[in-house]
Amino acid sequence: MQTEDLIRALASDARPVPRHAVECRVGIGLASGGIVTLAAIAAALGFRPDLGVAMQAFPFWMKWAYTLSLGIGAIAATLHLARPDAARAPWLWLLALPFGLLLAAAVSELIRTPVDGWQRLWLGHSWTRCSMLVASLSVPLFVGLLWAFRRLAPTRLRLAGAMAGLASGACSATLYGLHCPEASATFVLTWYTLGMVLATLSGALIGPRFLRW
Amino acid sequence: MRASEEQLRIWMIGGLDGDADAYTALLGALVPLLRSFFGRRLRGAADDVEDLVQETLMAIHARRGTYDRTRPFVAWVYAVARYKMIDQFRRTRPMVQIEGLEEILVAEGFEDACAARMDLDRLLGGLSPKQAKAIRDTKVDGLSVMEAAQAAGLSEADVKVSVHRGLKTLAARLRGQG
Repeated sequence: MQTEDLIRALASDARPVPRHAVECRVGIGLASGGIVTLAAIAAALGFRPDLGVAMQAFPFWMKWAYTLSLGIGAIAATLHLARPDAARAPWLWLLALPFGLLLAAAVSELIRTPVDGWQRLWLGHSWTRCSMLVASLSVPLFVGLLWAFRRLAPTRLRLAGAMAGLASGACSATLYGLHCPEASATFVLTWYTLGMVLATLSGALIGPRFLRW
Repeated sequence: MRASEEQLRIWMIGGLDGDADAYTALLGALVPLLRSFFGRRLRGAADDVEDLVQETLMAIHARRGTYDRTRPFVAWVYAVARYKMIDQFRRTRPMVQIEGLEEILVAEGFEDACAARMDLDRLLGGLSPKQAKAIRDTKVDGLSVMEAAQAAGLSEADVKVSVHRGLKTLAARLRGQG
C-alpha cells in the first residue's frame, strides 16, 4: 500500500479521543475484571459473615491499607508505563513502603505475642489457600488490563507486565479481604504478599509476549 | 521546510479532537520525519524504511490516546518509532550484526540534532522574517550569499546586513537568557 493511501485511510478514521483516554481505558479494564473477581468471590467463597463488624475494626483496615496502597501505586506505575515516552521511574521503589510498614506492624505484633502463639499468627486458618486464591482471583483483573493495553503503547514490556500483574494482584487481594477473616499482620505480610508476588511474576513473565504491539 | 514541534502538536491535538484535516496534515508531515529517522538507522534498505514508516503511522493512529497533550509531541513520535524499529529488529533479525549496530548507535545523535533544529526554529522565530530567512539560508542550509540573495530577490549587501543584524540580535538574546 502507498503511504499516501494509508494516510487517507487513517485520517478517515479520526474519531475524537478523550483527554484521559489512558486512564479511562485502564479504569474500564480494571473495573470489568474487578466485577468478575468480586462475583467469583461471592459465588465460590462467600463474603465473611461478620463483614459489617469487621469493617469497624483495625485488622480489616490494616489489610486494606496494605493492599490498596500497593494497588494504587501499581496502577499509577501501569499508567506511567502505558505511554511510549515514559521516563525512568525511580519512584517505583515507593512500592516497598507499604511492605515496610506492614513488616513493622508484624514485628510489633510478634513482640507482643508469646512465642508459642507465633505459629497461629503466621499460619492462621487459611495459609494453604490464601496465596493461591489471591493469585487466581487476579486473573480476571489482569485480563482486563491486557484488554486495556491493546490501545496503549508500553515500551518496557517486562516492567509494564510486572506492574500490571502487581496492580491486578493487589486489587484481587483487596477484594479477597472481603472474604478472608484472617486478622494478623504476620499472616497478611506472608501470604497476601506471596499471592501478589505470584501475580507480579506471572505478569513479568508473560508481559513481553502479550503486550507487544 | 519541516513543520515545527509546535505546529505538529497543534495538528495532533486537532486530530485527537476529531479534526480530520488537521490529522491528515499531521500524518503527512510525519512521513518525512519518520523516513529520515529510519533512513539514518537502516542505511540503504528503502523497502524496510517505508514498511516501518507505515507501521509507525498505524501504531500512532491506533495508540494516539497515549499522547499526553501537555508533553512534547515529537519525543512521543520518536518513542513509538524507536519501539517499532526495535520490534522489527527482534522479529526479522535475531542477530543484529555488530557492524550494523555501530551505525545504529551513531545515528542516535540524530534526535539531538532534531531537538537543536527545534530550538533554532524557536530562536529564529523571534527575528524579522527577512533576517531569519537570511540566516537560515546562509548559515543552516549552506547557500552562498549570492545564491541566497538571488533566491530572495535581494541584493547581496542586503543579505549580508540581514545576517549580521540577525546574528547580533540572537547573540544579545542568548546572553540575556544565559
